[in-house]
Amino acid sequence: MSAATVVIGAGADELVAAHLVARAGHRVVVLAQGIAPRPTVGWIPPALARALELDRHGLRVATDDPWAVAPLAGGGRLELWQSAERSAASIARVSPRDAARWPAFCDRMARLARFLESVYQAPPPDPTGTGAGAITELARLAWRARRLGRASLTDLLRVLPMPVADLLDDWFENDALKGLLAASAVAGLRHGPRAAGTAFALLDRQVGNRPGVFRPPRSNAAQVLGTLPGIELAGDARAVRIAVRAGRVAAVVLADGTEIAAEHVLSGLDPRRTLLELVEPGWLDPDTIRAVRSIRARGVVAEIEVNAADPGLAMPLVVAPSLDYLERAADAAKYGAVSPEPLLVVRPVAAARLAVELQYAPYSLAGGRWDERRRDGLAHTAIDLLRRSLPAGAGAFEVGAVRTPLDLETERGWPEAQAAHAELALDQVLWMRPTPALARYRTPIHGLYLCGPALHPGPAAPGAAGAHAARALLGATALRPR
Amino acid sequence: MANRWDAIVVGGGHNGLVAAAYLARAGKRVVVLERRERVGGAAVSEEAFPGFRFSVFSYVVSLLRPEIIRDLDLPRHGLHILPLESTLTPLPNGDYLAQWNDHDRNRRELARHSLRDAEAYDEFGRTLHQMGRAMKPLLGLVPPDPASWRPRDLAGLARLGRHFRALGPAQFHALHKLATMSAADYLDEWFEGEALKGTKAASGIIGTLHGPRSPGTAYVLLHHYMGELDGVFRAWGFAKGGNGSVSEAIAGAARAFGAEVRTGAAVAQVLVANGRATGVTLESGEEIRAEVVLSNADPRRTFLDLVGERHLPAEFVEALGRFRFRGASAKVNLALDELPNFACMPGRGPHLRGAISISPSVDYLERAFDEAKYGEFSRRPYLDIVIPSMIDPDMAPPGKHVMSIFVQYAPYHLAGGWTDARREALGDAVVDTLAEYAPNVRRAILHRQVVTPADIERLVGISEGNIFHGELTLQQLFFLRPVPAWARYRTPIEGLYQCGSGTHPGGGVMGAPGRLAALEILRR
Repeated sequence: MSAATVVIGAGADELVAAHLVARAGHRVVVLAQGIAPRPTVGWIPPALARALELDRHGLRVATDDPWAVAPLAGGGRLELWQSAERSAASIARVSPRDAARWPAFCDRMARLARFLESVYQAPPPDPTGTGAGAITELARLAWRARRLGRASLTDLLRVLPMPVADLLDDWFENDALKGLLAASAVAGLRHGPRAAGTAFALLDRQVGNRPGVFRPPRSNAAQVLGTLPGIELAGDARAVRIAVRAGRVAAVVLADGTEIAAEHVLSGLDPRRTLLELVEPGWLDPDTIRAVRSIRARGVVAEIEVNAADPGLAMPLVVAPSLDYLERAADAAKYGAVSPEPLLVVRPVAAARLAVELQYAPYSLAGGRWDERRRDGLAHTAIDLLRRSLPAGAGAFEVGAVRTPLDLETERGWPEAQAAHAELALDQVLWMRPTPALARYRTPIHGLYLCGPALHPGPAAPGAAGAHAARALLGATALRPR
Repeated sequence: MANRWDAIVVGGGHNGLVAAAYLARAGKRVVVLERRERVGGAAVSEEAFPGFRFSVFSYVVSLLRPEIIRDLDLPRHGLHILPLESTLTPLPNGDYLAQWNDHDRNRRELARHSLRDAEAYDEFGRTLHQMGRAMKPLLGLVPPDPASWRPRDLAGLARLGRHFRALGPAQFHALHKLATMSAADYLDEWFEGEALKGTKAASGIIGTLHGPRSPGTAYVLLHHYMGELDGVFRAWGFAKGGNGSVSEAIAGAARAFGAEVRTGAAVAQVLVANGRATGVTLESGEEIRAEVVLSNADPRRTFLDLVGERHLPAEFVEALGRFRFRGASAKVNLALDELPNFACMPGRGPHLRGAISISPSVDYLERAFDEAKYGEFSRRPYLDIVIPSMIDPDMAPPGKHVMSIFVQYAPYHLAGGWTDARREALGDAVVDTLAEYAPNVRRAILHRQVVTPADIERLVGISEGNIFHGELTLQQLFFLRPVPAWARYRTPIEGLYQCGSGTHPGGGVMGAPGRLAALEILRR
């Protein structure tokens, strides 16, 4: 059999890359690593959907509406909707001043998010690159930034490095509103809302959304991509080793010992896993190894399934009553403990079944490892908090499956339970994501490419990194934004 | 009628004096108006207790720009800097970490704690040194306006672009990391020893209400590495006679160039007519007119107190409202009957001629910060201690000593507000913390002066007592400091300029804002 392009992983990124490479005439084998298909979370860039005709093949994008609901201390609830006007009406009940400011806030943030969207649709620029291509890219980026105009350019420079708490304090007075928005910003991050750079995380969540919506959409993109013809998808096949000969990928070895001769390998696993575990040792220089080890991926979320016959409340429910509440929740995680009063995000997954994301539950615990006792503790904390946050008599809860950060790592391949593979932080974006040497999807091993959320543009736009990686592999030019 | 003065400088802090000296040197007729009885602002030496002299607020010199020392010939006007030679970090387990100027000795000491850290240390020093070099040109640069189409701004932006691109990938990426990471994460990439990381991280948190785990603090670490004395990076020192003598030397230079320096002259108001600054009114009612007015006061005080909202565009006032101060630091000055005797390093050794840092780990600093972010002062704060009388015996009576303790965190926005009782409680927490490492300190104290951020605001006039005239955080630096589009020392009021630390490149006894503001005026 001829050498193939082997794609490791079957998420949206890997499958997009697989199809683009296959269309260029290569034989492509996709190894799904035995990981169960999951909904795709994030914005599918329209240019990408068009290129792969995803709409024709049944792409369905679902957005929560309302996208966040907070129970209020004095009864009632605050709801944020897809419609900015409808959100403003809800905000007006807790603060007329904040409601009056809401449209301007939505507009200002949306302008920045549109800028990010354009940046996310191209590979990261190379600020010190000297080739004509690099300079053109930089010039284009500078031009786009300037075209934002004074107000938005200033916002961009100022907002990106801010703590989301400061940004929200600049705009709003109501604790519930600030808590709700900050909860979106810190979702999945180890930081609390007072940490610098969390305002950037909020903008990242606005990407692909309507103004005033800060929760990524969900879609069946990966599922649709998996059914498109043109690639060989092996569901249970699990790569355990990437064989290298003379500095070039030669084959991928599967768990059952099968060896697939490979001309190219494209891995959507996290870079640490790919480079430090799968690649045969001895091929990487110490600087690369050090840089890869330094990629920060600290997961802080646990998932708890809850059965509730009639929860009697609007979803998705967010328990984050104030900035201080979130900050205190994050404090515990800094020292390796689960927040006694965590952030909860609750959404229905099926009839009478809810999924609860609990944050902060750090992957690395100060006093030992995740075990049964700690697993039970998570469920107890979540249920207890849910009961306290809801009107008396709401729903009877029964705990289903509990996934600790350790489980999430094992089941989903999230390094240290970090869904983004590399934390979203200002030192891990653009040309720094996941490390400067790997940012262009190439690796020091010839024929080995990386994609996945650890690569630019990260988790906000699943599929984009796959497209950029495929183009790097094919040596073609970047996916141009509209 | 022609004005008697070309320029009025409101406030005689070190930056105001630098600006005055540069303007006078260019032949301008300049008067400096200082509210207090002595010049210097927060860089003053005072005999707080008979025979005991203190650098009451700022207490070390390192960032003072070499070109200023040269241009103003400060040594001739009495500036004499004595080096600080070591840093001792006493540890709770009775051990210590000492950092010496002597390379081999330093390496041996680091290796005693961690061989790996000793190996990494030189490379770390080289990297920070390089980064300092890469950032240094920015300290002498008027920030271009990134949204302007004027040729001067475009040329400035192009120059900046060229500067950073010329660094090459390795240095550029290293700089990106340093600018955006937390001190804790950055140091974790280099070192494993808690005491070393804690002590290094401490320089990242100075003056800001952020903990060492907050992104952006690695940059402040660099800011403190950019110190330069006699061309030697990372050298800190004392001014002989205290930091007041830095101010006195600059004032001396300004006078020598022909400037007039008036103390006890509190400015009540900047006079504005038809959108132009025409002079100032003193609290005494006296009116002084000039072609230009420079304010050494912080941005909030300058615009909201001295100018007044009604003269300013609404969006400027709004942006100013978003400029954050949040003072986080306090000072405790002790008059001592005897030297502190550190349990980890007993006796009168050379370590007492250097800095003593209570920063045993990153977690220690982070916990200190946790209390502050909810409006309490740290019960176990970070302390940076120096004993000036060990180096400059004139600071205390024979056989006695003065100790200067920089304390963090003591938030300006204390829950319930600062009172005399809370001030003394802070003083007690500091002495208790120190006494854990040097038990004799408690009985050696003859006098104690505690300066909270509220005191700094009241005495020196800096809003919220922020030692940098506004937080040194990424969103308040360079072309964003203090207000976007107004980062070039100019203001919406024609003829009114800012020359304090609230402008680029910010605080520290650096003098750069004063110099750049003066040069900007001289360009007109």
